Amino acid sequence: MAKLLRFRVLQAAMYGFLAVYSLFVLLPMLWMVFAAFKTKREIFVDPMGLPDSLSFVAFGRAWDIGLGIFLLNSAMVTLLSVLVIVIVSGMAAYVLARSEYPWMRWVYLLVVVCFAVPVHGVLVPLFQMLSAAGLLNSRLAIVLPYAAYGIPFTTVLFYAFFLDFPKELEDAARLDNCNRIQTFFRVILPLSGPALASASIFQAVFIWNEFLLALLMLTRPALKTLPVGIFELTSEFTADWPAVMAGLSIAIVPIIVIFFFSQKYFVRSLQGLGK
Amino acid sequence: MPSLVVDHVTKHYGAFRAIEDVSFAVEPGEFIVMVGPSGCGKSTLLRIIAGLEPISAGRIVIGDRDVTDLEPADRGVAMVFQNYALYPHMNVAQNMGFGLKMSGRPRTEVEAAVRRAAEILRITEHLHKRPKELSGGQKQRVAIGRAITRSPDVFLFDEPLSNLDAALRSQMRVELSRLHSELQATMIYVTHDQTEAMTMASRIVVINRGVIEQIGSPLDLYNRPGNLFVAGFLGSPRMNFFKARVGARADAQAIVASVDGLDAPLILPFGEGDGQLPSAGADIVIGIRPEAFGEGDSALSVEATVKVAESLGRETLIYADAGRLVTHDSESQEGYIAVHRPYQSATAYGRPIRLSIDPQDIFVFDPTGPTLRFPKRRAAA
Repeated sequence: MAKLLRFRVLQAAMYGFLAVYSLFVLLPMLWMVFAAFKTKREIFVDPMGLPDSLSFVAFGRAWDIGLGIFLLNSAMVTLLSVLVIVIVSGMAAYVLARSEYPWMRWVYLLVVVCFAVPVHGVLVPLFQMLSAAGLLNSRLAIVLPYAAYGIPFTTVLFYAFFLDFPKELEDAARLDNCNRIQTFFRVILPLSGPALASASIFQAVFIWNEFLLALLMLTRPALKTLPVGIFELTSEFTADWPAVMAGLSIAIVPIIVIFFFSQKYFVRSLQGLGK
Repeated sequence: MPSLVVDHVTKHYGAFRAIEDVSFAVEPGEFIVMVGPSGCGKSTLLRIIAGLEPISAGRIVIGDRDVTDLEPADRGVAMVFQNYALYPHMNVAQNMGFGLKMSGRPRTEVEAAVRRAAEILRITEHLHKRPKELSGGQKQRVAIGRAITRSPDVFLFDEPLSNLDAALRSQMRVELSRLHSELQATMIYVTHDQTEAMTMASRIVVINRGVIEQIGSPLDLYNRPGNLFVAGFLGSPRMNFFKARVGARADAQAIVASVDGLDAPLILPFGEGDGQLPSAGADIVIGIRPEAFGEGDSALSVEATVKVAESLGRETLIYADAGRLVTHDSESQEGYIAVHRPYQSATAYGRPIRLSIDPQDIFVFDPTGPTLRFPKRRAAA
């Protein structure tokens, strides 16, 4: 009985902690959405209050700076980067998970070590390299660094998934005349839904929100991504905060929609990551 | 020409010797069952034949081709896995036709092969279903169908029935035997279930610690096991083994053996087909099958007490405590004597039981393994 009581108390405490943490994360977002409906004056006079009316004026101002183009740019860059990350990481993780060479463990370790390199530390050499390659102001200027930074984490995520992938299916594929590449693309990848979904969401969220690299590498307005584009609503001495919040509110919609439809795979894959 | 030749095959994983210099040949249309305890190397040998494991030494010949260095798909083999290994994202027809499709065969040919295999296995109505919609037995049928569509020279089965329940297992056993007769195909089948081995095999290959202990027909192996391991492995309950010593040679063709715990000496004549007579004073192992114990009075009777009685309906298995006469390496692990009665018995725990022994039914083994003497009584024709 005492054990059950202790369990119930612990359970209640955990739910309580989770609720507080969720509020901590969700409240700023809620504030952002409310702020998008406020006027420039309202946002300073009553920053914590509810908007007086549901005015979409700020959304119009945000859209007028070219939010549609920025959305399209962000979508293209995100899609391309995620595609590169998923294919390269998937194949690398498959080789690492299946290789019997002991030195492959060191290669895996090297991949993990890549996590430790902060992007800010390599900004200058990265800029110089891309500049020398003539890639500045092209989508590749951010797609390549995004892929380079996304591959280590995704490789680790796929690696954990492939360790549990039934080897008999691969044996069956070999008997069915598949070479390694065909086995990967025809059998393994179609069955890697959970890992694919979570890797894609993780990377898509990061790339969708990434600001620093995009600001540095892309200066042509036609190529700007959402975060950099929305930044145009601010200047040295003033900012159109309701429009910024409206732009950001629009920016989070695609990611929320993707997460909504693939959360089942996302959670399943994260469970596997702990093994 | 043999369908398959395994020629001096050796497989090492570092210092561990999984398969050690194994050789045997399989004739066309034979149903070979490889049996042995867990970890003995039987599945490894099957995977070697399939080409899924490279070998350390030796060669594999299928038909007239040396396939040692060929990829699995180029060997002319098809394999049925223990866990079915069906592709979950494909339906039954796609699963069965995938191998042919990957070999670049025309669609009409693939469809015809799938339909033919589905008809043989009576799964035509399931062709559009995904594996998760099928029962265990149906999945196994699809796995077999996938093998059939490829029309291989040799079928390989890796414990295909071990995931099925008892009723389905015996049903599939019959199905596989029927399939073998219908297709007249060469089949290699790995199992640890000796019922499957005894009922389905043309020949059994008994493997232990990576080496072949004996190859032969099921009854040959049961009646004339080459050594202690085979004698103990085939037969359920396993053979009763008793430690004994050769007292003297009764004559040039017989020994007098004293069994630990048995007062009366045993006079065991040796004859044609038996091994060398052990010398006086030598340690030997006496083997008696559970069904060889009689009930009537005889010069060699033992009074025992029933410890466990397992009624199997038409037969009864009894484990009896015979005091000082204890079996070693026995099924019960407590030295009880395993007795088989081919009828329903009302006996129960604590009841007395008389076990009579006929010297004609006794095996004699050298303690190092080889069989020295076989029973003199043979099964009726």
